[in-house]
Amino acid sequence: MKSNIPPFLLSSFNPAHTRGGGRADISYLDKGIRSFAALFTEGYALWELSSRRSFLHDLDARIKIVFWMLLIVVISLKRAVLPEAAIFIFMFTLAALCRLNLIAFYKKVLMLGFVFGFLISFPSAFNIFVPGTVMLPVITLSRMHDFWIYHIPQVIGITDSGISLVSLLTLRVLNSVSVSFLILYTTPFTDIVKALKVFRVPDTFLIIISMTYKYIFTFAHIVSDMYLAKKARLAGSNDSKEAREWIAGRIAFVFKKTQLECEEVFKAMNARGFSGDIRLYHHRDLTGRDWEIGLVLFAATVGCLVL
Amino acid sequence: MIKLNNIYYSYYQKFSALADVGLAIGSGEKVAVIGSNGSGKSTLLQIIAGLLFPSKGDYYFHDTAVTESALKEKNFLRFFRQKIGYVFQDSDIQLFCPTVIDELLFGPLQIGLSREEAMDRSIEILQMLKIENLKDRPTYMISGGEKKRVALGSVLTMNPDVLLLDEPTNGLDPRTQVFLLELVLSLNEAGKTIVIATHDLSLVSELHSRVAVLSEEHRVEKVGTADEILYDEELLLKVNLIHEHIHYHDGQAHSHLHSHYLFHKH
Repeated sequence: MKSNIPPFLLSSFNPAHTRGGGRADISYLDKGIRSFAALFTEGYALWELSSRRSFLHDLDARIKIVFWMLLIVVISLKRAVLPEAAIFIFMFTLAALCRLNLIAFYKKVLMLGFVFGFLISFPSAFNIFVPGTVMLPVITLSRMHDFWIYHIPQVIGITDSGISLVSLLTLRVLNSVSVSFLILYTTPFTDIVKALKVFRVPDTFLIIISMTYKYIFTFAHIVSDMYLAKKARLAGSNDSKEAREWIAGRIAFVFKKTQLECEEVFKAMNARGFSGDIRLYHHRDLTGRDWEIGLVLFAATVGCLVL
Repeated sequence: MIKLNNIYYSYYQKFSALADVGLAIGSGEKVAVIGSNGSGKSTLLQIIAGLLFPSKGDYYFHDTAVTESALKEKNFLRFFRQKIGYVFQDSDIQLFCPTVIDELLFGPLQIGLSREEAMDRSIEILQMLKIENLKDRPTYMISGGEKKRVALGSVLTMNPDVLLLDEPTNGLDPRTQVFLLELVLSLNEAGKTIVIATHDLSLVSELHSRVAVLSEEHRVEKVGTADEILYDEELLLKVNLIHEHIHYHDGQAHSHLHSHYLFHKH
């Protein structure tokens, strides 16, 4: 065998400089892959967070899912800022009682509320879209303009009704996101999926959701390993064009792997007696404590509705 | 050449993978890191390869500290990646180019070799690994054993001084296992430093290397010669690498310590 070894393998590389030479750039695509790989850490953190103990953590997932649905309906029905603000305080109290990390929790909630609530509804604060008394003039034109169905007033500015509309929409988003995160942070994902049976969601659909969730992590793992494998052979900077080509190739590979995995999983299901019908293990029975807390949450939700 | 001092590593800042690991590997040595599943063998190899960075402890390669920041320096990155080659356990993960020849060319081109030199190296490696017929084949259209050869070839074209092999014989047929073992021994004779992570005790015996045993507590339990380690029944039982099992011989059931290779005494 030794005689077969190519001569170049018998020599060793000894560069003149082993340090310096400037910084090796990491392309933004590499950074993106690294962030994608961070999905594990987040998934693990979420699982750990949802497996702690508190009154909401210990509550049966079905009660939490019903509470979540009811509160989302109430949040959508309220048409005034004050009740929405009251719901926001209620959510804050629940998050505090569950001993969640309020800073981390509200960092996410406020970020989503800002993007999907405030930014999206902000144009409606102007009197071009919602008529009202101008509180803060922004532009003054020489005269008003009318064309087709649009009316551009002479003074364009933020109106009182606009402010209240933006506040209402932003609070709605904040509240919906708060309650959703509250449930996610206090309930393991597997329990949430099983609890959906309350709404007569078919077992087949539930198992598809569970499998999808699981395979997101499986494929995040593959992507992360592929990135390490590439990093191990990358001795210089990687320009964005190469990174894009590599990613395109890897997307095709993951797609192919997904197809194969799908076939294998189906075979494994068949081997364990799958015949088209899926029967999931049923939940434990609701305890007296579940009913008590459920009633309190229900009363609080009704209270929010009548505010 | 490789010096690891009090290395700690944990996944998600929660699950310990390595605890207070110290190991020194000299140039041209062959070392097997053995341990049961989850003992931290692959993590240790990935730290040596500069793919993961310890949460505590120091790692020196040729007396230079290997840190995330040091690996951002162009010269050191090139030097380090060229010196250390890592062969992953799952070849599918490692093979990311369209064809076999593209795989072999990737490394040499990254380290700045000319296209001609990179191609020459790749052809020589194809011949050495006896896979010339696969040259233009897509990597998803070759068998597991062939993938392992290509994965090894993709690293060898970079001519590393150190070869890190993670469970190299896993899932390979006996003939490919022997081929791989002979190749690794030849590369070691040619001056390459070999570090293998495995739980295959017969491989360790055949390599006849220095052995570092990782415990289930993710610590280095013992470092010694292959003979010292492989005949230490108490140690191997403790780290869960052997167990007692029952099987049949000539129609009679009897029990003995597994592994077969070392403890099957009649």
